Amino acid sequence: MSEIVIENAVKQFGKFTAIDNVSLTAAEHEFVVLLGPSGCGKTTLLRAVAGLGMLDSGQVTIGGRDVTYLPPRDRNISMVFQNYAIFPHMTVFDNIAFGLKMRRADKTQIRERVENAAKLLHIEGMLERFPSQMSGGQRQRIAVARAIAYESRVILMDEPLSNLDALLRLEMRAELKSLLKRLGATTIYVTHDQIEAMSMGDRIAVMKSGRILQIDAPTRVYDLPSDHFVGGFIGNPPMNFVRGQVQRSGGAYAVKIGDFTLTPGDELRSALTPYDGKLIYMGIRAEAMEVVTTPTTDTLPVTVDVVEPLGAQNLLTARVGSDILKVSTSPDSPIKMGDQVWLRFPLNKIRWMDVDTGRAITADVAQVLA
Amino acid sequence: MSAQAVQPRLAVLPNERERQRALRRLRLRRAAVYIVAVLLALWILLPIWLITNMAFSTPTAVRAFPKAFFPNPISLDSLTFFINSEGILRALGNSVLVAVTTLVISTLLAVPAGYAIARYMFRGRDAVRLLMLSVRAFPIVVLAVPLAVIFIRLGMYDQPVTLALMHTALTLPTTILVVSSVFASVPYEFEEAAQVFGCRPIQAFATVVLPLALPGIAASAILTFVLSWNEVFAAMLLTSTNRTLPAHILYNLDKSSDPFKFAAAFFMLVPTMIFIFFIRRYLFNMWGSINK
Amino acid sequence: MRLRRRVESCFFMKRNRWIPYLLLLPSVIYLALFFLYPMTQAVQLAFTREGQFLNLRAEPNDTAVSTGALLLQTEVRIVERSEQQETLASGAQRPVFWYRVQAEDESGATVEGWVSIRNVFIENRRTSETARVTSGEALREFSLVHVNRMFTDFRFDDALWTTVLLIILIIPAQFVLAIIMALVLQSQPRFSTLFLYVYAIPLGLSDLVAGILWFAIFTQRGFLNSLLVNAGVLDLPFIFIQAGHLGWMIMIIVLAEIWRATSIVMVIIVSGLQAIPRDYLEAGEVFGASLWQRLWHIILPLLKPSLQVALILRTILAFQVFAIVIAITGGDIMTVLANETFRWYDPARFNNPNMAATYSVFIMLISLGVSLFYLRAVRSQEEAVQTT
Repeated sequence: MSEIVIENAVKQFGKFTAIDNVSLTAAEHEFVVLLGPSGCGKTTLLRAVAGLGMLDSGQVTIGGRDVTYLPPRDRNISMVFQNYAIFPHMTVFDNIAFGLKMRRADKTQIRERVENAAKLLHIEGMLERFPSQMSGGQRQRIAVARAIAYESRVILMDEPLSNLDALLRLEMRAELKSLLKRLGATTIYVTHDQIEAMSMGDRIAVMKSGRILQIDAPTRVYDLPSDHFVGGFIGNPPMNFVRGQVQRSGGAYAVKIGDFTLTPGDELRSALTPYDGKLIYMGIRAEAMEVVTTPTTDTLPVTVDVVEPLGAQNLLTARVGSDILKVSTSPDSPIKMGDQVWLRFPLNKIRWMDVDTGRAITADVAQVLA
Repeated sequence: MSAQAVQPRLAVLPNERERQRALRRLRLRRAAVYIVAVLLALWILLPIWLITNMAFSTPTAVRAFPKAFFPNPISLDSLTFFINSEGILRALGNSVLVAVTTLVISTLLAVPAGYAIARYMFRGRDAVRLLMLSVRAFPIVVLAVPLAVIFIRLGMYDQPVTLALMHTALTLPTTILVVSSVFASVPYEFEEAAQVFGCRPIQAFATVVLPLALPGIAASAILTFVLSWNEVFAAMLLTSTNRTLPAHILYNLDKSSDPFKFAAAFFMLVPTMIFIFFIRRYLFNMWGSINK
Repeated sequence: MRLRRRVESCFFMKRNRWIPYLLLLPSVIYLALFFLYPMTQAVQLAFTREGQFLNLRAEPNDTAVSTGALLLQTEVRIVERSEQQETLASGAQRPVFWYRVQAEDESGATVEGWVSIRNVFIENRRTSETARVTSGEALREFSLVHVNRMFTDFRFDDALWTTVLLIILIIPAQFVLAIIMALVLQSQPRFSTLFLYVYAIPLGLSDLVAGILWFAIFTQRGFLNSLLVNAGVLDLPFIFIQAGHLGWMIMIIVLAEIWRATSIVMVIIVSGLQAIPRDYLEAGEVFGASLWQRLWHIILPLLKPSLQVALILRTILAFQVFAIVIAITGGDIMTVLANETFRWYDPARFNNPNMAATYSVFIMLISLGVSLFYLRAVRSQEEAVQTT
């Protein structure tokens, strides 16, 4: 039993609200990523689970036990810190064994567990060394080994890869993912790197200004952002947002982007009703659009301002009214800067959003509102 | 909406007793910290209060037994008696002269040296730092005796400037280390930027680095002043008629009355308390620098 | 992390062949003049005997080996007489008396040897039992006479052991108190800057002032007696400070020194604490360390460099404790090493710079020894591993 449940957590620092009534559940064995820009409260939330800093209100339970008011050492959790927090005055062995020693575990048991953890992270040959003799990547491994050796069922990670260089981060990312899956520990992982979040998490909780905007599987967060911010934060390039005006035509609604008209599906009819005559966002991913070189009735003409060859794709930048569209095409596409092209928008890839609140306009939400 | 992406299950009431207990524990710890903090502050302040009390009591009250813990009536008689005593003003003048001379020489020598240590990589840099450290910890006692002998031989004995030279030898290593840590805290990029935009190195130093480092240098100068102002052993050895204030007081201690002693202590204490107040922010930079 | 910082700091530094040396030159010259030179002078004073001495000879002639030397004005006892013939420049012969004498030399040892009548005053050259040395040769030579005199001086043992006792009593208490102060400040209570200032005040106080402050409390008509008499605990004031009350006087000096000099230890420890990343303590908390375990396993080991610096600094300063002792006890009924240095130097007392220098060199050597001891004993485990 190692399910983590956070309910209605609130934390304020003076007047600043760091966590604003957040609830979150990480199921047993689940890998949940807290993703957001700096200052969004993700680290504060993680620290609240760890017990480093008391919540103003709300509750944290781990494995069914209310730990809200327990100090960290009574929570039976382990943690990997952003700067590793590897003690410089202890050998690698003593670092990994630290938690077990504090618990006064049996000597042979300590040795066995430390050696196992070290083996898992391929640092078994360095146990007698001091951290100052080791590279950043190796220290990272010690930090993870320490967390594993402690054998708690919950591992908290606070931007553990952010201090590694790009190549090492890529390598460690995959290694960590497979390792944590094998161990089956419930993990909460904080990062500001959306690629890390996408690649590692079972679910991603996107945070902004102390709130969770969306919590979903990575592909759903990517394809179906529930919010303008989420769409803009995740993906490289981020989701495109083009403003269009909602117009009633017959029984249905249409969205006019300049002279070009898109007709959202029927299921959105009631959802769009309040927006009659107003501007909304059409959100679409760069790779979701089709680029054609001859006009048809369902395509929008644009002029290509910039072509950026990125290797795996060519990224086109075009202007639609005052909005900018980024479109990806195949790397062998002949389109050059200044060319006129036509874009087709598959309706099922479009996410409509409220211009003011940023919320996605979806059928189910509309029903809840109704 | 999506903030509550996870539906709260049953609304679990926060365990109120647990919460109270945790809060109590927290408050208890806070309270303990405050109690200790205040006790420690009282430990420091009590003797200072007692001497202040004495300094503002009449000489009769100072001689009285049992003594009062508050001055009644408040009187400047003891202080004026002290200041008007034979030789005090002269000693005060000597003290200020010595301390200011020490401050000036020490700072003038320390600024280039501190800058060199902070900014340049050169062979022997660590050795220089180590040397400064060990020199700072050096016993004053050892220097005072031979210097006195040397100065007598050179006919420079019993002059405030001579004592200032000795005090500079004592304070210089500290001042160099402090000034170097002050310079080290001014980002080198500023200087580079100034040079990129057309300053010669010396101009870059004068227009960018020096203004930024000035408060820190001023703090270290004040510290130098305080060290010299307080120093008494070398002052006793190197002067006989031109004594500094602490040397004068110490030399006459066994012949002095209590009102004189207590007023003297108060008089010596006030300027340094004020100085420490002004440089309190820098104290950690100063002593922190020796740990690196 | 430390490694990276070092690499970066090297990268962002200027390199120049001679400018840094030029900038350092004035300071180095100054320290050589006013530091190195007097230091060598101190050693020279301590190990040199100078003045006019009369050499005692193994045989009654001027070229015989010396068996010892006597200061002018030394009284000698005559053991044996010998009448020699002396050849003058003109070739004429003339009788000269030589005496085998016994006397105490400078260090107090008894020496014996031959002296010529030309160097002593004697009332009757044939019958007098004693004589007095009146002339000799100017002498400047390496000698342990001051050192011997220091070690045999009746106040030396008192001075040394009182100083050592003070160090043993003061320093541990000081470190405990400073660590408590630093931890209190580190937990950042409200007004922590004010507390910090208050704790730092004694940093700026001279030992003389501190001595007078505590004298005011413990003197016969002082505040403690006022309090005790007012409260009815005592009928008459208790005299803490007097000859024979060594224990009380030491206690007062210990209190005063703890009061005065804990600040510097506190400041060094606080800046050491500030350099410990908060991560380390949080990692300790997460991995199950109690408050005490965190102090013992994380904070104190990481503070080791700061503690070492503070320990060395404080011990060396404690060997020089001076004004506080004079201010509290007057310096006659109780003494410390620095006080002896001053007494020997003081023109109004012994006026003997050589002995004063000997005491200073002794203080220097003992400080050096203790520092080296600390450096070895408190050397961190890490270094030990790296050097093996």
